[in-house]
Amino acid sequence: MITSTIIIFILFLLAFGGFVAYDLATAKRRKEVYRVKSSATAYLMLLPSVALAFLFILLPILYSLGYAFTDYYLLEPNKINFTFLDNFKDLFREIAEKGMLYNAIKNTATFVIGVVPLQIMLALLLALFVNRPGFGSKIFKVCFFAPVVISLSITAFLWEQILASGEGGLLNSMLSVFGIPPHDWLRDPKTAMPCIILLSAWQGCGYQMLIFLSGLSNIRNDLYEAASLDGANRWHKFWLVTWPGLRSTFVYILITVFIGACRILTQPMLMTGYMSHTVTLSYYMYNSGYTERLVGESSAVALLMTIFIGGITLIQRRAFREK
Amino acid sequence: MDKKLMDMPNFRPNKTPVKKTVGEIVYHVIGIVLSLIFVLPILYMLATSTKGEVAYAESIGTINMFLPDFASSAVAFENYKSVLLDYDIWKYALNSFIYAAVVIVLNILINGLAGYAMAKLTFPGKRLLSFMIIFLIVVPVETSIIPLYSIVKVMLGLKQQMTVIGVILPAAISIFNIFLFMQFFQNIPKEYEEAARMDGASTLGVFFKVIMPLSKPILATVAVFCFIGVWNDYLWPAMILPSADDGSWPLLPIQTALITIKSIESITTGEIMASLVITSIPIFVIYVAAQKYIVQGFGTSGLKM
Repeated sequence: MITSTIIIFILFLLAFGGFVAYDLATAKRRKEVYRVKSSATAYLMLLPSVALAFLFILLPILYSLGYAFTDYYLLEPNKINFTFLDNFKDLFREIAEKGMLYNAIKNTATFVIGVVPLQIMLALLLALFVNRPGFGSKIFKVCFFAPVVISLSITAFLWEQILASGEGGLLNSMLSVFGIPPHDWLRDPKTAMPCIILLSAWQGCGYQMLIFLSGLSNIRNDLYEAASLDGANRWHKFWLVTWPGLRSTFVYILITVFIGACRILTQPMLMTGYMSHTVTLSYYMYNSGYTERLVGESSAVALLMTIFIGGITLIQRRAFREK
Repeated sequence: MDKKLMDMPNFRPNKTPVKKTVGEIVYHVIGIVLSLIFVLPILYMLATSTKGEVAYAESIGTINMFLPDFASSAVAFENYKSVLLDYDIWKYALNSFIYAAVVIVLNILINGLAGYAMAKLTFPGKRLLSFMIIFLIVVPVETSIIPLYSIVKVMLGLKQQMTVIGVILPAAISIFNIFLFMQFFQNIPKEYEEAARMDGASTLGVFFKVIMPLSKPILATVAVFCFIGVWNDYLWPAMILPSADDGSWPLLPIQTALITIKSIESITTGEIMASLVITSIPIFVIYVAAQKYIVQGFGTSGLKM
């Protein structure tokens, strides 16, 4: 491991050196002036973060990329064989046979499609709701943010009891007042994922609400005044002033919520455990890498996931780039 | 108050006072109902922390889940007392505070310096680094937790005292925070720096004496999220912090300690909730205090992906 780390480090330095040389060579054409002293200061300022990012972020990613093509088993770290595409063949076979991985992909897709619009819409509505002066709205703002701050283990524990099966669950006992029979919310494949989507949106939207609020505070008031003079009602003002003004905030939130949603792991892990109707890609990866200790296979899933998330993020950035 | 209302975008001056009062009441009723939905876990936590095992079991599935048990205030007192005295919660809370303080300082220094270099200085290789920043934000880091574990293990040899560094160092680097700092610094007008340069300040001098004091909103944002991250993290410390030879866990941060205690000792639900209440207080205080700055921090940084 130490030798391979040193080799990767040398390669990294060479690659960076190559880019530096390229930048220097093309400096004249790009009309860029590099000064020795200012460049040296910049490198010095970047040194701690580049060193830590190399060790704790880039290196693990590169290793995981490499493991994807091996049969690395965590309990036998000395017997790693290069197996080329075997892991990927296994994964695609599992997808074709509609095994656990197929479910993981399906559930992750369901989750992303459900939670991204819901969470963003909730966040925007809450932001519009508290975006006014007064003591009450300040308190509401703190309350809406509360689930973000509270540890996920507490909220998962609470929701587990609200949604518990039989008469014991709070939701079931409330519904029984209206004569609706009890339902096993988290074990029924039809309702489990919607429940997890709802509680994730509820749990996370306070954070995006804050970001929307800061976006709202950047919209100039005279735009609203001008719209009022033109006789615009609230609805017009929202679509003509607020929404365009929130554009870059919205793109930012869309991309970050999307990436976060693709990585969903903790909620199903704490609420239902490893079950076919709630397993997600991250959970599958965690399970094969950490519980079954098949690091090779787990890394192959990670690689596929990275390509997928990266691809969609690039498409989103292209689609929403300001013209 | 009225002056302030005039400044708000949706203010409509042509409303009668009666209509306005009704509107205010409706607004606050809706707000209170919504707030209740969002503070449910807090109510549940507070209510359960006052109950003994029997009262708790009886409350499950009823609305009493969210109501404190006033009949037995002695039990509530017992819960909090036993958590603080028998389980040494304060010791683990202190650990978490120390980890959080060190992580916040390192995180701001390391990522702030990088963000400044990326935002304000020109140097060859900058385009590669800005591409790397976006790339590393997109790549899911969770996928590489096992290689990260091996790297930290090899690097530190997993010696008892050294593992503390393994908790702190990986948390000190955050590509996302570099990105936030970068965006914030880009919007600080050049004139501030140029004035300081005229007085003979170095680049580092400008960073510490001019840029840092102007960046309170983003510093507060990064500090709060560092604190919440360290305070709520349990997976990573549980992976790398070993227990001492006598079976105690002197280095564990609070959340990891709570989960370990829960799995080993016979602790009641009321006691667990009492400990969670105690450990949630610092986060809440810090968040409420810094809330104003967080909104500013996001706002002025422009946030362009």
